[in-house]
Amino acid sequence: MTASEHSHTLEIRNLTVRKGGVEILSGIDADLRCGEVTALVGPNGAGKTTLLLAILGQVPYTGKIRFCRAVEHGEGAPRIGYVPQRLPLDPDVPITVLDFFALSAQRRPVFLGASRRTREITRESLERAGVAHLLLSPLGRLSGGELQRVLFALALLDAPDILLLDEPVSGVDVAGEEQFCDFLSKVQRDSRFSLLLVSHDLSVVTRHADRVICLNRRLVCSGATTEVLTPSSLAAMYGADAHLFRHSQADGHGHLHDNEGR
Amino acid sequence: METILSGVFALMDRLLPFAFAEPAFMKRALLALLLTAPAAAALGVPLVQHRMAFFSDAIGHSAFTGVALGVLLGISPSWTMVAFGAVVAVAITLVKGRTELSSDTVIGVFFSTVVALGIAIISREKGLTRNLQAFLYGDPLAVTDAELLWMAGLFLLVCAYLSLLYNRILLLGIHEGFARTKGVRAPAVEISFALVVALVVTAAIHAVGILLVTALLVIPAAAARNVARGAASALWVSVGVAALSGFAGIVASWYLDTATGATVVLAAAACFAVTALYRASRPRE
Repeated sequence: MTASEHSHTLEIRNLTVRKGGVEILSGIDADLRCGEVTALVGPNGAGKTTLLLAILGQVPYTGKIRFCRAVEHGEGAPRIGYVPQRLPLDPDVPITVLDFFALSAQRRPVFLGASRRTREITRESLERAGVAHLLLSPLGRLSGGELQRVLFALALLDAPDILLLDEPVSGVDVAGEEQFCDFLSKVQRDSRFSLLLVSHDLSVVTRHADRVICLNRRLVCSGATTEVLTPSSLAAMYGADAHLFRHSQADGHGHLHDNEGR
Repeated sequence: METILSGVFALMDRLLPFAFAEPAFMKRALLALLLTAPAAAALGVPLVQHRMAFFSDAIGHSAFTGVALGVLLGISPSWTMVAFGAVVAVAITLVKGRTELSSDTVIGVFFSTVVALGIAIISREKGLTRNLQAFLYGDPLAVTDAELLWMAGLFLLVCAYLSLLYNRILLLGIHEGFARTKGVRAPAVEISFALVVALVVTAAIHAVGILLVTALLVIPAAAARNVARGAASALWVSVGVAALSGFAGIVASWYLDTATGATVVLAAAACFAVTALYRASRPRE
């Protein structure tokens, strides 16, 4: 497909990342398309987070990452939003959710208070994410699910072309995960960015991703979700013993358990 | 420069008509503490968030070597201390960003190397030990006019620096990768912060000494954590605790006849104890 069919595409070609003489990622080819959800799956140490960092330009790499944008959709470098997995914070760090927004939304130093504009923006975007009540909560005391929503709301403020989510539902209970995914697809419909999400959770992947990239230091396979997640590709990624493990039918919650029993 | 200071001293005579504030050396000490302690406390809030208490301690101890180098080279130790502290701060930050080692390991290596170098120099140069005493324990009563003006300049520098970069420093402390996507230029901000911390640490050594200088950065910020509800109150409580304990400490040391720097740190510790009790008495949210 070409860039004009989708309003933009991120093309990754022959991407290789070396660290201390070891190839962490070798020869990765992949496309991220506007309006699509791409899931990045693979075992621990497969280089998933490294791939995100390469797209963000935060680790050195060889190969090409090219952003193609149709002319009518503006020009220039893509805006890339990033939602990290967790924040390494002390629970008593004196920063509220409002302060957190103020840090990037206003020039005025946060010790002089949040500007009226910051307050409005923050309130609106928290409301959209369904967590308006967290405005003045201390950042270090949010639950995993609450934090994901706050980070997500903050990443959306920049109207990103590409949004990278690192393990968005880890440490979130099943109900919270459902809510988060519903919210995700709602925003996704409205704003049409390309979404790349790292996930261990195959039920999330099969339900929400259009395409899948299977990674294990190299590209195992990629393509439409239904075609790619086959027993043989899972075996190539996680080893021959891997199987899609289903918990009780009631929650219909699938997890991939690799050789380490995770 | 003389006239500015004499004007300030005249003003202090009117504001503080007490016996302890009469001697000029007490006025100098008071000024030195009210300039360095709040600046250190303001930097202390992001410093604690970045878990850099050990870093500031290493810079404090590098002053030991800075002073020794100054005496060895025949340059004023007050200035070699500042220069050497700045060099060590930048070196630690650069090395930390380029290795897989944890930051406390990197700091530990620098810390001991630098102190060992200082001891090696001192052991060769007999008669240096007396010179070092003032730096080890701090002697705000002996602060010179030039040092006072440097502290005043530094105070303004810290105000300007934090006004411009406070948001970016805090964001960087929350998550580096995320901060970068929000336009924070990570290494530049980190190095500038390390440098400003080094300047303030070496200035604050005149007030409380090498052994206690970290206290001026860490204790007020820790006390602020006990009571602050957000980023704004954290900074102001920290600065308030520093100013209060600077003033209370110097007055108490006059009447109790104790070492000024140590008394100031004890006053700050008392503030920490009060805020900790307040926190314990309050129901957790």
